[in-house]
Amino acid sequence: MLIWFLPVFLFFLLIGLPVFFGLLAAPGILLWMAGQEKDITLLYRNVYNGMDSFPLMAIPFFMLAGELMNKGGITVRLVEFSQALMGHLRGGLAQVNILSSILFAGLSGSAVADTSALGSMLIPAMEKEGYTRRFAAAITAASSVIGPIIPPSGIMIIYAYVMGESVAALFLAGIVPGILVGVGLMFMVRAVADRYELPPARRVVIAGTELRPVEYWFSFILVRFNIGWLLAQFAPLGPEPSDTAEWLALGGGFVVAHGLMLGLRRAVSRDFRMVCKRAVVPLQTPILILGGILAGVFTPTEAAAVAVAYALIVGFGILHTMKLSDLPQVLSRAAMTSAVVLLLVGAAMAFKTVVSLSYAPQILAEFILALSENPLVLLFLINVLLFIVGMFLDAGPAIIILGPILAPIFTDLGVHPVHFAIIMSVNLTVGLATPPMGLVLFVASAVSGERVETIARAILPFLAIEVVVIFLITFVPAISMTIPRLTGFVQ
Amino acid sequence: MALLLGLLWPLQLFNDVVLRIGRAIAIVAIALMVVAILIQVFFRYVLNNPLPWPDEAARFAMLWMTGLIAPMAYRRGGFVAIDMAVRALPERLAAILSLFLLIVAGVVLGWAVDLGWNDVTGFMSRAKTASLYYLNADLEWVKMPRRWMMSSLFVGVVLLFIVNLELFLRALITMLGGGDRLAPLAPPEDELMAE
Repeated sequence: MLIWFLPVFLFFLLIGLPVFFGLLAAPGILLWMAGQEKDITLLYRNVYNGMDSFPLMAIPFFMLAGELMNKGGITVRLVEFSQALMGHLRGGLAQVNILSSILFAGLSGSAVADTSALGSMLIPAMEKEGYTRRFAAAITAASSVIGPIIPPSGIMIIYAYVMGESVAALFLAGIVPGILVGVGLMFMVRAVADRYELPPARRVVIAGTELRPVEYWFSFILVRFNIGWLLAQFAPLGPEPSDTAEWLALGGGFVVAHGLMLGLRRAVSRDFRMVCKRAVVPLQTPILILGGILAGVFTPTEAAAVAVAYALIVGFGILHTMKLSDLPQVLSRAAMTSAVVLLLVGAAMAFKTVVSLSYAPQILAEFILALSENPLVLLFLINVLLFIVGMFLDAGPAIIILGPILAPIFTDLGVHPVHFAIIMSVNLTVGLATPPMGLVLFVASAVSGERVETIARAILPFLAIEVVVIFLITFVPAISMTIPRLTGFVQ
Repeated sequence: MALLLGLLWPLQLFNDVVLRIGRAIAIVAIALMVVAILIQVFFRYVLNNPLPWPDEAARFAMLWMTGLIAPMAYRRGGFVAIDMAVRALPERLAAILSLFLLIVAGVVLGWAVDLGWNDVTGFMSRAKTASLYYLNADLEWVKMPRRWMMSSLFVGVVLLFIVNLELFLRALITMLGGGDRLAPLAPPEDELMAE
């Protein structure tokens, strides 16, 4: 009888019951009807136990760090940097939009934040340059889905927690697929540039920008330290180097990095250097998060807290773009959005208990395996299913609902759990930009003033390339698995 | 209609005041979470001497943050739902469907309030937290009872239940044609940024 909880849940979902209540109502009603009242108590307790988790704390922290960075005015710096780097390519500002999304993804991990922050700045700028508003809104929405794919990523934290995977492994596995989506979109922009008669491209390097001395020296040290640290990793220090040797290697790396910078200094203009320097402070955030996790210094939760501290230092101490009076609003937004997600995750953990009690995965597995025994065919079919689900449901709730049901089936078929996590995350993330229920389409519409239906039509070529990337990721596991394997996070 | 409006205003007043206080405490809680974890990072990696309490203290703050601010998110329409059916139906039918959905949510929350009360007063609640202490009336440091943590969800579902009651009355008044006499609720403060 318990197997009926799935259709009942779907019914509740389709008539508009909030997912949180649906996750509890469907199994609760059936448990009550089956006379398993003790399990209803378990349902409540699992909501609490599901939320009482140290790894989950990364969600509010990453949200807070993203909010702080956004409020601190880093968006404009990233766009200026992208414009100086890629503005001259065919499709100019559209390419800048995509690159900005890739860079922004390393800070926020949220497609909605990406669309609203970059869209409010780039859509008017693109219109002014001669792009149509619908094209500008479409490329903003399409590229914003990179946000939750490249780490840090809220949905990957949720997936890792619900399915018991390593957050670090998922973060690392998302890097190449995220970049691939970006590169795919860039190719598509280039391909449609002539057909859409996009305006001529031009590199824009903001002239005469200055840096405060604190920021100048801070970024001066950061760049050299990052490159120096990277170079020091290649120093032949032997299997167990002493502390002195490690410090000397780092110092040597720092000096070499300074030499490299001096060499580059002559190759580019002063204005270009300044625009690049202004991007150093925000771009240090992903380096701090990923570097800390990779080096084994922090857990993802601690890395997220460090990212918050860094964003505070940057906003208040270096860029001076934030005031104390901004903090309550920022904290409140982060707390409210995290609370909704945390409750959902708690309910998902309770739902998961009933999923296992009902033998739903086994029954569904039998059904799926009856369709075909070829994992490649099944992966194709599952991608179609996920894409359809993504059209109606946001990525987080979809992962919470489908993860516990689908992942065990495909893991048994030999698909690596991390690979499946990436397939699911990327597919459902792209769903954020698909009609009729694409969250980022709504935000892009609100930001641009263009109708959702118009953006939904203009986004189709970009969605097509994202679908191609999804299938590439599905059928070439190396795309997602290479970095986690090389770094030892996946065996 | 007058009766419904009369029933609504104390609920609205309660939610206006209590949820604002909840939001203020949640803001402090999220700030404390950051501070606790940064203290732990400093002690673990700089002093090489991890402390026993910051992780649990941060979880304590996170649970209370969730319990106290989630009702405000629900009141502002911030809970994720597929609302296509409600939007596609004619006004009267949509109002009836909304009422039905609020009844289902109310049943779930009523259940949760009952189970939550049993939980915070039951056997499990007598356990102590692992590393959190407080100063009791005899000025002795004693371990916090676990029910102080568990109460966060109970308080959360009680507040959600009261918000649900307010939303139900509002939907009923709207269905009966008195929608224009309702004070607007604040818009959602944010989209679901986790996406």
